[in-house]
Amino acid sequence: MSNPYAKKRFLVIDDMPTARDALRTVAQNIGAFAVEFAANYQDALYRIRNNAPDIILCDYMLGEGRSGQQLLEELRRFNLLADETIFMMVTGEQSYEQVVSAVELVPDDYIIKPFSPDKLLLRLDRIVAKKEFFKDYYQAKRKQEFEQALALLAKKRDSEAGRPYRFEILRQQAETEMASGDAKTAEETYRTILNNYEFPWARAGVARSLHKQERLTEAREEIERVVSSTPTFFDAADLKASICMAQGEAEEAQRVLDEVAKKTPRNYLRKRLLAEAATLNGDDETARAAMSDVIANDTMPGAVQPEDRLALARSQVNANDLITAEKTLVSLKESELQNLSLDLQASYAALLAISSPGRGKPRFAGLRPALMSAALESSSRLDILRAALTHGDHELADYQAEMLMEADDAKKTFSSTRKLYSLHGREMDFRNIQKQAALARIKHDAQAG
Amino acid sequence: MQQLLDILASGIHDAKNQLFQTESTLVEAETKHGIDLGEARYAIEAAAQRLSRTLTAYHLGRHDQALAVVPSVVCDLCDEVALAQRHHLAAAQIKLEIDCQAFDEWPLDRDLLTDILNNAVQNAGRFAKSCVRLSATLEDGGLMLCVEDDGPGYAELPPAGGTGLKLAETLAELHTRHGRHGHLHLDNGSALGGARFALWLP
Repeated sequence: MSNPYAKKRFLVIDDMPTARDALRTVAQNIGAFAVEFAANYQDALYRIRNNAPDIILCDYMLGEGRSGQQLLEELRRFNLLADETIFMMVTGEQSYEQVVSAVELVPDDYIIKPFSPDKLLLRLDRIVAKKEFFKDYYQAKRKQEFEQALALLAKKRDSEAGRPYRFEILRQQAETEMASGDAKTAEETYRTILNNYEFPWARAGVARSLHKQERLTEAREEIERVVSSTPTFFDAADLKASICMAQGEAEEAQRVLDEVAKKTPRNYLRKRLLAEAATLNGDDETARAAMSDVIANDTMPGAVQPEDRLALARSQVNANDLITAEKTLVSLKESELQNLSLDLQASYAALLAISSPGRGKPRFAGLRPALMSAALESSSRLDILRAALTHGDHELADYQAEMLMEADDAKKTFSSTRKLYSLHGREMDFRNIQKQAALARIKHDAQAG
Repeated sequence: MQQLLDILASGIHDAKNQLFQTESTLVEAETKHGIDLGEARYAIEAAAQRLSRTLTAYHLGRHDQALAVVPSVVCDLCDEVALAQRHHLAAAQIKLEIDCQAFDEWPLDRDLLTDILNNAVQNAGRFAKSCVRLSATLEDGGLMLCVEDDGPGYAELPPAGGTGLKLAETLAELHTRHGRHGHLHLDNGSALGGARFALWLP
């Protein structure tokens, strides 16, 4: 039989040259022919993006404050790692096991140094067998054929060959159910896993699916359990923060995110979440610092999106630094603006109408008919509301407030909305709008019940 | 205290990195000259294991380390122990038998458990006449991992424990599921005639 690894392309990632050589020796010993090197995080990203290898052997410590886990998360975030690619973490740290047991994104496997070529071979053979077992499922998942994917998983779950993978099958099932929008069933699947063992990632899965179902109090209880029992599970902290925001507790959300963001200074998705919480919490300085950091340092091509610049401009407007906000906004090209969703166009026009009335007001006025009728995200409605209040357009402002208070996420935006009204001396008007919305909700609930 | 621990951990980390480089140098020499340096590599890995085990024992003793429980394939675990020990035992004319009847994934701390089993097999190998057996079965709703040999058995029961045995005991106790704890049992009731190391996990 020919060696299955002879034709595979290996990429060895390690910042220490001697360690790279050692890994190459081991890889060559198991039959690898093509072994490439990456000396650091950026180099690794570049190589994987341009020509994805089949097998990645990545050291956990990459120097410059970067870790293999960060690389893995970044690769998944930008969809640069196909399910078929093997990602093996290599580590001298016994404690990496602690990391793996408390994160949602895990490598295919990890191996602790020192190890023999035979041991690497054994581990790789196993991953290959597993990927072969899940092959048809991966394909269905990639095409987003959720029904097909779930049917394949059900068949695997009942098969003899599936016995060694029973948790993995359930985990994939829950994730697929979530992705297909069926949070209720996903919750049940996560609970099935928990009936067997109290895995923190499964408990977090329950919280995530409850959050999706708008069952916020229960979601909060579940995620508190995870956060207190597994403090190193940072994704769980993010989830807790999102739930807090939805419950209208922006202050607690920011406190949680502040704490984990300090431990993971290069996680820019977390920084964005922090900016969102700080904005809702009225901490404009933190929001501005977080978004400036994102825009300056989230360097993957395509990482910084127009909505990030809008978030920065929003924090600058909130901090009353209108000149800088205008600069941020006009840095967006007209061609970029054309392609934005109505939500983002509305936010752009609203923020520009505040920071630079001469430039922004005509654009904002042009969108007004749409803003009085279209379904919009709450974050956009808040921007519109702010601009409308600033320019004395009561009808537009009150309509946005009404929509905000009737929306599912009314709790999230309540205190920001109230603050804007009181800033313009219109607390009483807001109280009336809120009362109307509450009455409408009661009536609606009574009819539904 | 934490600072001292960090220094120790980072020293052990560096040492293991260097041991890995040493092992790969041996691998290179094996390929180049067509020789078998398996025993030298075994000694290197055993040394690294000792270092890790010392740190783990220290952490567990201070109760500042939780288990890292992940779904693990039991048969794979047995295969790894076989891979690590078989060559070395064969050099002493001792056969290592593996009998895994637990086919499902099991929630356990894979790295610590592998280390404990490696240690148990090493110990058994020192006293066995010709055979050591590692078996995994489902028993009493849990997972039973047994290491047995055909040697003279433990001279005293319970045996005066070293770090390895103490660690095994603590580790078993720390595994909990559905309100039940794991346990370690040592006796001379092996079907092979010698000592038996029986670790049960819920």
